[in-house]
Amino acid sequence: MKASRNIVTSVVMIPLALLVALPFYYILVNTFKTQEETANHPFALPTQLYLQNYANVLQNTTIVQSFFNTLYVTAISIVLMLLVGSLAAFGRIVGKGRISAIIGVILVVAFLVPAQATLIPLYRMLVGAHLVDSLNGLIVLYSTGSIFCYYLILGYMRTVPTEILEAARIDGAGPFRVYFTIVLPLIRPILITVGVFQTMWVWNDFIYPNVFISSPQNETLVLQVYTAVGQFLTDWPSFMTLTVIVLIPMVVFFIVMQRHIVSGLVQGSTKG
Amino acid sequence: MITKDLNLLATHISWSRLRESAATNIFMVPVLVVFVVLYAVPMGQSVFYSFTDFNGYSNETKNVGFLNYQTIFADPTMLAALGYTVFYAVATTVLITVFAIPLALIINRKFFGRNFVRAVFFFPAIPSVAILGLVWGFILNPLGDGVLNTVIHSLTGLGPIPWLADTTLAQLSTVAVAVWTLTGWHAILYLAYLQSIPSDFLEAATIDGAGRWKTFRYITLPLLTPAMTVSWLLLMTNGLKVYDLPITLTKGGPGYATTTITQALIQNGIAQAHVGQASALAVLFLLIVGIVVFGQLALSRALEGRYS
Repeated sequence: MKASRNIVTSVVMIPLALLVALPFYYILVNTFKTQEETANHPFALPTQLYLQNYANVLQNTTIVQSFFNTLYVTAISIVLMLLVGSLAAFGRIVGKGRISAIIGVILVVAFLVPAQATLIPLYRMLVGAHLVDSLNGLIVLYSTGSIFCYYLILGYMRTVPTEILEAARIDGAGPFRVYFTIVLPLIRPILITVGVFQTMWVWNDFIYPNVFISSPQNETLVLQVYTAVGQFLTDWPSFMTLTVIVLIPMVVFFIVMQRHIVSGLVQGSTKG
Repeated sequence: MITKDLNLLATHISWSRLRESAATNIFMVPVLVVFVVLYAVPMGQSVFYSFTDFNGYSNETKNVGFLNYQTIFADPTMLAALGYTVFYAVATTVLITVFAIPLALIINRKFFGRNFVRAVFFFPAIPSVAILGLVWGFILNPLGDGVLNTVIHSLTGLGPIPWLADTTLAQLSTVAVAVWTLTGWHAILYLAYLQSIPSDFLEAATIDGAGRWKTFRYITLPLLTPAMTVSWLLLMTNGLKVYDLPITLTKGGPGYATTTITQALIQNGIAQAHVGQASALAVLFLLIVGIVVFGQLALSRALEGRYS
């Protein structure tokens, strides 16, 4: 009876999953077709290996530039927020003083403030600092993520036995040495988890690039796809090709990091 | 001699304590800079501007009291944005919960193809929502050449359905796409909590003669309340903050049917430089999010209290 129930589950769930995946199949399969073929047989497999759309997109868009822009912003933002967040969490753990407790409370408040509530003053601030339409300006904005990092890292650090830190201190290591040589290697698992999570945020973010970036050479990948809709209004296969190219890094990321994404989801939800 | 040594030791310890606490406070300086520059100052400015007629350029701003707040409640487009955003947040929260919990129960069973099913349902949460919105825009294109309309036409002969051009359909379409992107993600969240339920609990219930529904109702569901707290909180706050999905799918239209608070705020405050009015909207938004967060925490605490 149990076996038959399992078969029923498979028979229902696998087609349902295929239905969920259908939009991805649809855009992928149409990148190898001419416009005419796409219109007439949207779901059919391509009849030939037609690569003109890929050539077209690589020639007529600044996608390579956008890729490196996105990579630059993501890499620096993530390193920065992990550094700031873990330093603060370490300070909160070892500092028994009243100051660090007060800061801890203040950060809870920041955690609740949605980005929208500060968006307009931040825009004016970045205009003043000549950081609008600049990749470094985006990095400044993403450094707000260090508060989320602080929370998750703090939660993890509380589980680390403080004896290790005490032992290092007695051995005469200064706080900075303890942080770099002992704490950072010790909290590697949580750094990976938080890093993976924040990478997804920064890489995929749309609101900050859309509001703060205006010139094509500073576009991130997501913004490029958004502005390309006008460019390829009548050329759907090219638009879908651009989309597929942009999705490839996320698919690779998903396959490699799936385990970390799930553990980040669970930890982020229990701590946040 | 000994006391002298002890005194020396004592001063040494307290001095090193002091140095240490100063040093450890240094660790919190970067995060404090982030907090002050990117949270506290702009937040204060938002509140300040919301009571002024500041337009982004003039140096002479005057205090206008609650005028900006009154303007928001008198402006039909602002009210439409508030209404749609709340509708979106509530509808996505309810629908995703209704789909995600059964999905979590199913993918918790053993069956052929389970890992494939898990991965496929989960995947739409990975790419940028903005890109998925654009892809769905092509699929739901209201003209006859949108692929969904092509399929419907060839199967039933019905004419093009205005998925994104009709007010109600456009609102429902944005919610439907959101459900597609996030149901798997929240199912995995529930799954994590399901897997932490000791199987003895469920076995004991079965031995006691509880049917499947009763086991779910009296054992699984109460043990899932912490997961629901988290899931609802994420869905409600992210729903209220939504921006990417409606704007890429419908550009906020038709008319203002799918314009969100965030979109209205950006258009007013940055594109049109109605800084005062947009700041009032921002403050209002902060209050709404705050009320929802605290209300929901209180509610879930009450629920957990009742079940435990």
